[in-house]
Amino acid sequence: MLIERAAYGNRWRSVSPAAKGLFALAGLLAALFSGSPATAATIAGLLMLASVLGAAVPLALYLRVATPALGFLALSSLSLLFSLSADATGNLSWQMAPNAAANIAAVSARSLAALAALLGLVLTTPLPDLIALLRRLRVPDVLLDLMVLCYRMLFVFSTAIEETRTAQAARLGYSTPRRSLNSLGLLAAGLSVQVWQRARALHLAAEARCGSGTLRFLTPQFQHAGRDTALAGLAGCLLLVIGACAR
Amino acid sequence: MHIMEGFLPFEHALGWTIAATPFIAWGLQSIKKHLREKPEQRMLLGVAAAFSFTLSALKLPSVTGSCSHPTGVGLGALLFGPAAMVPVGLVVLLFQALLLAHGGLTTLGANLFSMAIVGPFVAAGLFRAGRALALPLSACVFAAAALGDLATYVTTAIQLAWAFPDPAGGFAGSLAKFGAIFAITQIPLAISEGLLTVLVVNALRRFNADELQKLPLFGQRGAKA
Repeated sequence: MLIERAAYGNRWRSVSPAAKGLFALAGLLAALFSGSPATAATIAGLLMLASVLGAAVPLALYLRVATPALGFLALSSLSLLFSLSADATGNLSWQMAPNAAANIAAVSARSLAALAALLGLVLTTPLPDLIALLRRLRVPDVLLDLMVLCYRMLFVFSTAIEETRTAQAARLGYSTPRRSLNSLGLLAAGLSVQVWQRARALHLAAEARCGSGTLRFLTPQFQHAGRDTALAGLAGCLLLVIGACAR
Repeated sequence: MHIMEGFLPFEHALGWTIAATPFIAWGLQSIKKHLREKPEQRMLLGVAAAFSFTLSALKLPSVTGSCSHPTGVGLGALLFGPAAMVPVGLVVLLFQALLLAHGGLTTLGANLFSMAIVGPFVAAGLFRAGRALALPLSACVFAAAALGDLATYVTTAIQLAWAFPDPAGGFAGSLAKFGAIFAITQIPLAISEGLLTVLVVNALRRFNADELQKLPLFGQRGAKA
């Protein structure tokens, strides 16, 4: 996963997740409350520069991660371009929506700014650090256990899927749409059997170590956490001020 | 069918998050009660979340010739129950936002409401109704998965129509517009996912009938059908 690669190898890796979370939260709020498309686009640009220049996330990787979301945004915006209306006889017809350009500009700029805030967080912070942050924020243990287990097992399942698909493809399992659907059904069924097998094995392993409750791990420590959080707070306030100024 | 990050205005993002919160609390409470009786379920649900996440990354061939990703809404509801799907769906949607930049944090509440609340409950309800009417298992599974998927899309269309009412036709005009777009793109996908879920359940019946029989929504009649 590209996001994982960037999250473990950027300049802000050792910065406290609380600081990065605070900055991202301010970015999201500034995006949602930005008064004009130009302001939202400015916030998006600033957040992108923070990730690329501040955290040294490679620009090519940043764009590769953002591209699917941008494509999705383009498609979503397209749906706002047209309007469906009925005439006097009840016939439906498609037409250009009034003020479509202004609406699309506002929604797209807001989405871009919010996406830049999200990417700024996920491209600089590995998921285990975010889970540790959620634990500090007193998210229920059951939910955190689900996250820890999900994170650990999803790579196991990804490998299983890759190997099974390779084996199926080698036997022409994906040569026609009909065969593809059948192969996919067998693949998903095989995986769903593994859910019970792997869960049973994990439970046995935990019981063998007297594990009967929540899954606890050492909380990672970050130097200069207070300073980083204060700086992130200031930068976040700046984003909010930029967003509020144009209202 | 995710709504992307920042696409919904603040009031809507907040409103859907508030609407989803009681379901999350109920789902967590239900899991906690379940875990006291069966502690081994803790691992099962975590592994189920990973399964749902990886399943949603698979490419599903559509009946129109294109392809997309399965939502896993129906299959998840049938295998793990709709109540468990709320927290499991929350984790999956959060991970999709954090690891794939798919969906988002501000739209998490809205996406959760459509994909982890409405879809699974419709799927489980239809499956129960079908079994109560003694319909064949494959028909029940297909209806649950395909219509659970469609219910998800309809909810998303309602969410978008509410957030972006048509300047001329208002909410109804906008709902008709989003409904028409989804009808073209999502009905074929729902049919494909229904077929896929039938294949999965058939394969499970063939190779793991015992495991299937232990599931709350299946039981004796489901395994024998």
